[in-house]
Amino acid sequence: MSVLVKRTIPIAIVFLTALLFLCEFFITIPGIDFKSTATIVNNWGIILTAFTLGFGAVNLFIFHGRHISRRTKGQWPFSLWLLIVIILFTVVGVSTGASSSQYTWLYNSSYFALSATVYSSLGFYMTSGIYRALRAKNIESGLLLIVGFIVLARNAPAIAAGFPPIIPWAAWLSAVPTTSAQRGIMIGAALGALALGIRTMIGRETGFLGKLTEAEKGG
Amino acid sequence: MGKESKTIWDRLEDIPREVLYGILIITFIMPMLFPIGFPVPISPEVQRWYNFIDNLPAGSAIMIDFGYSGGGEPELGPMAVAVYHHIFRKGGLKAITMSTSIEGTLLWDKAMAEINPAQYGRQYGVDYIHIGYITGTETAMAAVGKSIRATTTTDYHGASLDSFPIMNGIDNAGDFSLLICYTTGGDQSEGWVRQWYTTYQTPYLCAVLAMMVPTMLPYQKAGQIVSLVSGAQAGQMELLVGKPARGIKSADVITMTHILCLVLVVVGNIAYFGKKFSGGKK
Repeated sequence: MSVLVKRTIPIAIVFLTALLFLCEFFITIPGIDFKSTATIVNNWGIILTAFTLGFGAVNLFIFHGRHISRRTKGQWPFSLWLLIVIILFTVVGVSTGASSSQYTWLYNSSYFALSATVYSSLGFYMTSGIYRALRAKNIESGLLLIVGFIVLARNAPAIAAGFPPIIPWAAWLSAVPTTSAQRGIMIGAALGALALGIRTMIGRETGFLGKLTEAEKGG
Repeated sequence: MGKESKTIWDRLEDIPREVLYGILIITFIMPMLFPIGFPVPISPEVQRWYNFIDNLPAGSAIMIDFGYSGGGEPELGPMAVAVYHHIFRKGGLKAITMSTSIEGTLLWDKAMAEINPAQYGRQYGVDYIHIGYITGTETAMAAVGKSIRATTTTDYHGASLDSFPIMNGIDNAGDFSLLICYTTGGDQSEGWVRQWYTTYQTPYLCAVLAMMVPTMLPYQKAGQIVSLVSGAQAGQMELLVGKPARGIKSADVITMTHILCLVLVVVGNIAYFGKKFSGGKK
């Protein structure tokens, strides 16, 4: 494929789309309706995202179908199970409706229960982790121990009720050190995202275009 | 090499995980079977959330995002249910819900079955509605903020939005007095700040998983979120609303498991220093 198709046209589309949204947010020009154009493009984005969900399902079928046909050791039974579950949910959902009692039962009895169980199992790892990690082995871990102890005590409703001074201590830890550190991280990440956005917009960042040769990357 | 005998400090410093897991299971099952009724103080954030809804004038529209997944339902579900009880009991409010999570519609059905809006005389399409799962996360938030009808013309059952009285005069973010988001994802909780608060200054109440609170705190401190709560505080909301349920039951479990963690931390440190001062550790 030519450089025009693989690089220039996609970058032009990204540039124009980004420019439209920048203009819609920052600029008002009498007679030019950026808002309704941006609304249309936004809706294209939603349709494209919905399309990628379907595309993802097709890709799963191709990928796991290959494992099943090749009987990949240690993998193919799981691939088969995955495809059976996808087909089952799709058939029940399409034939009875996504809010039908049949589909809701299927979801509640399988995915919901499993999902909640897997998430809940984190509690076991966290308990074991807290016990092993919060040890005052040096000054840094001693500080972590004190902070962890206060926050743990604050988050237990009965302890906070029985020992109210813990509430302002934990509130200070949240409001000052935690928020300050989090703000630093967020501002750093936002500046990085801004730089990445500008580089993508002007075609200096080509990662989203897939694998390109040096000639296709241009300069 | 001979096997060295373990001292009491060695054993306490390295309790096998199987034992820890066993103690934890007993600690959280007991208060579920036999509720203790520990006191639950109301935190300022939960009180602020409650007051904000309580002070909304009649006719106000609320956009609610059911943006959590099944894994987070045990934590965020009770909070969502308690807040709906408050909205329905107060009356005169329009609760318009959408989902940025693909499981959101199913979890909303689950919540509605638990709430039973009919007990307050509330009707679907008149007092509350669900406009469905809208893909794209931030793109969806931005699109709905500009125009709901340009994004979707039906509710999640496929009926035309214009056939519901609740949707009269409601189409974009400017028509809403409040935004509420329950989510297990940072994309959603932060996305609403960017797409609705920044653009339209819509007051925003946000409920997230407890572990997500530190990442969202800067937004609350900057005034972009009216109140930020974790799902673990659902018991407090249930007390305020006068509908004690799953949240208040889990408050006992939270207290017991946190006390267990504190005891384990103390035991671990006593063992560490005991071993150190008895010459077993350099």
